[in-house]
Amino acid sequence: MPLEDGDLFMNKWLVPLVLLVAPALVMAGGEPSNGDGVPTEMAEGRQIYEQYCASCHGWQGEGAADWNKPDEKGEMPPPPHDETGHTWRHSDAMLFRMIAEGWRHPFNETDQLTMPAFKDNLTDEDIRSVIEYLKTFWAGDQRRYQQSESHSRDRHPS
Amino acid sequence: MKAICYRLNSALTGFFLLAFAVVMPALVQAQTANDGQPVKALTTNSSGALLVLRESGLFVLDGKTATEIPLPPSDSVPRPNSLATGADGSLYLSGPGLGIWRYEYASERWQSLSHTLPDLGITAIAAHATQPDTLYAYLGEGGMFRSRDAGAEWMKVDSGPREPVEAFLHSDMPGSMESGWLFAGTTRGVARSMDCFCFWGDAGDLRGTVTVIGYDPSAPENVYAVIEGQLHHSSDGGETWAGIETPQAVTALTFSPTEGLLVGTENGNLLSRHASGGWGPVHE
Repeated sequence: MPLEDGDLFMNKWLVPLVLLVAPALVMAGGEPSNGDGVPTEMAEGRQIYEQYCASCHGWQGEGAADWNKPDEKGEMPPPPHDETGHTWRHSDAMLFRMIAEGWRHPFNETDQLTMPAFKDNLTDEDIRSVIEYLKTFWAGDQRRYQQSESHSRDRHPS
Repeated sequence: MKAICYRLNSALTGFFLLAFAVVMPALVQAQTANDGQPVKALTTNSSGALLVLRESGLFVLDGKTATEIPLPPSDSVPRPNSLATGADGSLYLSGPGLGIWRYEYASERWQSLSHTLPDLGITAIAAHATQPDTLYAYLGEGGMFRSRDAGAEWMKVDSGPREPVEAFLHSDMPGSMESGWLFAGTTRGVARSMDCFCFWGDAGDLRGTVTVIGYDPSAPENVYAVIEGQLHHSSDGGETWAGIETPQAVTALTFSPTEGLLVGTENGNLLSRHASGGWGPVHE
């Protein structure tokens, strides 16, 4: 069947139109974002991080100096959350538990929690948001490792 | 009188012949087990029998009976130096140039687990204390590898402590962010990390090349380390250490469910520690 003018128009403009519009549609159909184009969950996570976490773990997730040695009180200082730390080695479930319930390093010389519990200050959604924000500090291979840990955690709960 | 003496003599001769026939095989087996060379590694299986790695081979000691388990096949001269028992009782053997193997008790065969490791230069292995499918292997400069499927797939998880690892173990001592702890004997002393491999730090200030390390599964805070044949004990998870006197230099150690702390010595002897603190031969 011979092509008609309408068909020719469709072929001529349809492909560029699709290429132009599709990415925008995909973006629009993805995560909701704030005015800066930052996904809403990430923006919320950042806000929560800066409000509750940054004073100890650093505004850029850089942690305390000498974080891997006990301080003068015999307590482990707050570790970095960026690619120089070990946060990326923990599954989502473990990170959630540590933020919600806190954690005490067993060799601390005081009885205080090394990491305070935030379950009275943050909702489950808040905690999930801040975990997603922490992932922005990591390198690509670290994100892949952590994703694998999260999947593995489902199979090997400790 | 002569008849009495004759009968007595016959009875004694018969008794000694019978005793010789009963005891000799055990003596031969015991001699087969102890080659006079340093014990290279020790572990126990799920039934509590002691597995002894010697220069002359691998033996299972059950009571006074020693049974040899032939070593796995190897293209070169195998140099096994490490044993581990998994949480399900599986036996693992490794060594430089040998890779890592699991012994199938039912078929009495070894299965190679090295297919996805970068090379066979394994200097130490450990089995997870509670997860039967989780194993760890240290490949020197290659770093620390972990398998979560009983050795089918290995993944590099860490470079390991700063100093080379001579021996290491996994323990379910409480307090970890994940499922337990790793204690490594290094050329600097004992290094310790949670099993998330968050970071390796010194476990106390015990210094020297730790060639053997072990712990008490029934009281995991109790960790043991050997430096130049001298046995050291920590009762607080490696924070502080104290020496333990032994009759001979220690070259291997393990914990038996029935006999507690057992050590192998440089002379090939196996000793167990009495409640009084003294030492005695195993199975005697």
